Amino acid sequence: MTNDPAHIDLLEAIRDRGRPWQELAAQYGVKNPDPPWKVTLDATCDILAAESCAAEGRVEDPVLPALERRAEEDDLSSTLYAGVPFPECQLLALAHSLIQRGLFDEQELAKRMEQVHERLTSA
Amino acid sequence: MAKVLDDKKKGHGHGHEGEHPAAPMVEEVSDFEILEMAVRELAIEKGLFSAEDHRRWTEYVHSLGPLPAARLVAKAWLDPEFKKMAVNDGVKASLKVGVDWIKSPPTQFGTPSDYCNLRVLEDTPKLKHVVVCTLCSCYPRPILGQSPEWYRTPAYRRRLVRWPRQVLSEFGLQLPADVEIRVADSNQKTRYMVLPVRPAGTEGWTEDQLAEIVTRDCMIGVAVPKPGVTSNVKLPVHRAIHPIEHHHS
Repeated sequence: MTNDPAHIDLLEAIRDRGRPWQELAAQYGVKNPDPPWKVTLDATCDILAAESCAAEGRVEDPVLPALERRAEEDDLSSTLYAGVPFPECQLLALAHSLIQRGLFDEQELAKRMEQVHERLTSA
Repeated sequence: MAKVLDDKKKGHGHGHEGEHPAAPMVEEVSDFEILEMAVRELAIEKGLFSAEDHRRWTEYVHSLGPLPAARLVAKAWLDPEFKKMAVNDGVKASLKVGVDWIKSPPTQFGTPSDYCNLRVLEDTPKLKHVVVCTLCSCYPRPILGQSPEWYRTPAYRRRLVRWPRQVLSEFGLQLPADVEIRVADSNQKTRYMVLPVRPAGTEGWTEDQLAEIVTRDCMIGVAVPKPGVTSNVKLPVHRAIHPIEHHHS
């Protein structure tokens, strides 16, 4: 990955508008230093780095090897997503890496975000 | 595209202070929370992994923390034979504190992120070890939990190997000039943790008491145990000012 990564409008909109956990936690007086979604994010990163079918005897290349993901996260955290706190920058970088690899596209992600938003705020 | 992000910005930030006396919660859905969920759901939908696999990995990640490593150190302080085992075979010693590097992860044979080779580095009064991963953020997660934010930053990773003594002093650890510092650079195959020197003033303590003062920072090597100190240092995170050059094929 170069030091001039492609811009992804959706992720930059989240970068600009998103409220990071440290801000929300301070506002609501929550002491947990990590957002609740950090565990599931870490699990996603782990599982994408795993030879997921090896446990059944098949060996496949990982979808996103840990070293590649971290290198891209380093790049992106110092360029496009500079200033975004951790682990929000890890999340933006993961989404960026997946889109860059064509595993899903920006429009699909935007649509899914709308659906998730609607679901989470419908109660 | 950003429509989904807009409306959650409204109506927050006023009048909430002091209104949550017990078990406060964040009462808004953040864009990042939505993004995490959307990425995960799409990955499942695209067949990158199954929901069931993800649940098992989440449980595993959730189970990780620094307590087993603290227990290992406390045991080693109390039992010279165990200490010998820990230094010679960290993976075997881990079993005594409930961590099976090979079989605990959902893969049943370690994880690609953690591998299965733990080295326990024993400090002496004249030798201090400190752990880094210059390449990314390799860390002995099965026994020490998730790495702190500063451990992942280029500012720590680059500078520790160049100026270990000065970087340790930034953590409040001033070492005498006659103490040698060895920096252990984690890699894809090997993980490190530090077995610090048992501090004075802990004579007669139980394993539980000892484990309490063996903080995460002590086992990374940026702090030393002290009676009465049971928490880690909180540092501002400085961004590296030089661009990152990676040369992966």
